[in-house]
Amino acid sequence: MSRRLSEGLVQEDGRVRCRACGHDLAQAGTPWKAAARLVERPMKGAGGKAYSAGAAVRLRQFCCPNCGALLDTETALAGDPFLDDVVGA
Amino acid sequence: MDPITFSIIRHRLFRVVEEAVITLKHVSGSAITNEGHDLMVSLYRADGSLLMGGVGFLHHLTSAAEACKAVIRRFSGRIEEGDVYLLNDPYTAALHTSDIYLIAPIHHEGRLVAWSACFVHVYDIGAMNPGGFSPESPDIYTEGFSSPGIRLVERGVLRQDVFDTLLNMVRSPEMVALDLRSMIACNNVAKDRMLALIHKYGVATVDEACAELIGQSERLLRKRLGELPDGTWRSRQFMDVKGEVHRVELAMTKAGDSLVFDFTGSSPQSRHAINCTQWASLGGLFAPLFPLLCYDITWNEGVIKPITMIAPEGTVVNCRRPAPVSVATVGAIQSVNNAACATIGKMLSASELYADEATAVWHANHFAIFMFGRNQRGGQSIGILTETFAGAGGARSFADGIDVGGEIPNPISRMANVETMEAAFPIRYLFRRRMIDSGGPGRHRGGAGCELAITPHDAPDGGLHYVVSGKGAEFPMSDGLNGGYPGAPNSYIWVHQDEAGGDNRDARFAKALDELPGRKEPVTWGVFPLMGKDALYVRWNGGGGYGDPLEREPARVAADVHANLVSAEAAQAVYGVVLQADGRVDEGATAERRKTLRRGRLLTEAAE
Repeated sequence: MSRRLSEGLVQEDGRVRCRACGHDLAQAGTPWKAAARLVERPMKGAGGKAYSAGAAVRLRQFCCPNCGALLDTETALAGDPFLDDVVGA
Repeated sequence: MDPITFSIIRHRLFRVVEEAVITLKHVSGSAITNEGHDLMVSLYRADGSLLMGGVGFLHHLTSAAEACKAVIRRFSGRIEEGDVYLLNDPYTAALHTSDIYLIAPIHHEGRLVAWSACFVHVYDIGAMNPGGFSPESPDIYTEGFSSPGIRLVERGVLRQDVFDTLLNMVRSPEMVALDLRSMIACNNVAKDRMLALIHKYGVATVDEACAELIGQSERLLRKRLGELPDGTWRSRQFMDVKGEVHRVELAMTKAGDSLVFDFTGSSPQSRHAINCTQWASLGGLFAPLFPLLCYDITWNEGVIKPITMIAPEGTVVNCRRPAPVSVATVGAIQSVNNAACATIGKMLSASELYADEATAVWHANHFAIFMFGRNQRGGQSIGILTETFAGAGGARSFADGIDVGGEIPNPISRMANVETMEAAFPIRYLFRRRMIDSGGPGRHRGGAGCELAITPHDAPDGGLHYVVSGKGAEFPMSDGLNGGYPGAPNSYIWVHQDEAGGDNRDARFAKALDELPGRKEPVTWGVFPLMGKDALYVRWNGGGGYGDPLEREPARVAADVHANLVSAEAAQAVYGVVLQADGRVDEGATAERRKTLRRGRLLTEAAE
């Protein structure tokens, strides 16, 4: 039984999985971002020339480590904890 | 009660508010009111609880309820038929001093049965800086006239002494007088129409319908919350003022049929006027909640009951007096709006049933520039660049965000025509157009923001000055959803004519900032001149994107490039779309490019 958690994540068999490839990321009802690939880059220029952000501002992209699907993004400064969303198990 | 009668009364209440809004717009002479729609009208029960929330800036609906309750407490036993009360103290209920509430009791046969309340951002409030936003104010004492509740009209007669005292403390008193009279007229219309409703159906029937309406809203929202998954969703907003970074942190938890917004972890209150009070934060979280969760539910007290807010005292979201708050509506309140919009969007997206109601964050950063000075007719002009209300839509699961598409907290916000602004101020627009690469990339792109440039024109004093409260030039604030990028941040540039020898007034065919001659200096906070041959360039944020940009249909990216909404460079670097010389998609190169970009994601380290 599959249950939607977000556009890119589903809950199946008590696990949080990538919707695109089924890769197992975490136990259901727990944070999953630590198991993702993190692409972190300067926000400045990230989306084109209009992204004139400050030098310290980062764009975080959390990707499926198996298929590379982009699952979530965050704006952050270095050292900020992840915005860990948890959908009830 | 009889469902037909209930339905008729419900719709009549909508019309009461709608007609009052029309009155407010028609009587007020301020562009911020009748062009930007920085206004609100709502109806309240006899105890001050919200009965029928109107359109306009929605963060006022709950604050005006608190204003009604504050007036009831202060004037207990002395509230008379025909009275009108004024309240604009942020530490009592208001959002900031320049958003004045006028609150009118509605009596039927001598008994208080309801309240009408409205606000406009008045032309001026006598703060350190003209127009209401006062970035140079260090405290509430320097943010202008502030009342925790005063009787402006007594038994239908204007208290001229009070009226004149207020006007004696503001710039352009004739315009502020018109603002106040527009609100008196608005409440009069609301009262007349409400009494007509009572005369037709009887006070007991209307009262029963109003009570049922509130009960209905609570039942419907609790049912909806019950249909959504339980969980905790987080969001973070940054505001930078003169190099100081402030945060609004939000953890929104849904359990069963209730919702808790917890702002623990937000920054301590600031010495800058971006702070807001607890009533303002409450209003701030309801502004996106009403349209996103209650799009088909009447906005009233019933919606408020399932919601709890935790806002630690002494922080930017619940500051202590005398912290300055004049910039709150575009400062901490807007960040609360944005954070709540982001977490509600994530919650909706976690539901199969409601996923298509989810949205990335819309226009998250008002630039709110107020200009002031002697105009081309010799009079004084004070007013906002109404483009701040033009906004940009966040992307949804099924569609791009709407370019220059408004904002979530105000469903009727809009901007004035260029000609209107040029008639009101001694300025000329060099350009005003959608901004390339401003909409957050995603499978569905965020709506584009805009850029504009103005110069002095026909100004008797050689130009004018402007107040800018530009937090957020360092940080994008319109968050993306489900992998979408945030929209591009704001930008404010003072283009000096001086040593570069350029003349921006002659740059009538300039199409972009790069084509404006002169030295370019970023400005973000304070009062600045726009004189002589200088120019002011402003860019406002795009909406957040939705989903993975590598999944966007290549043909849509090509169309965006053709429309000058996405650059060819961003198309390739962000969307992985390679275009041929004629602008058509190179299918093979695009497939290869996207494969390379995906592979690159897998080469990074694990996040832990």
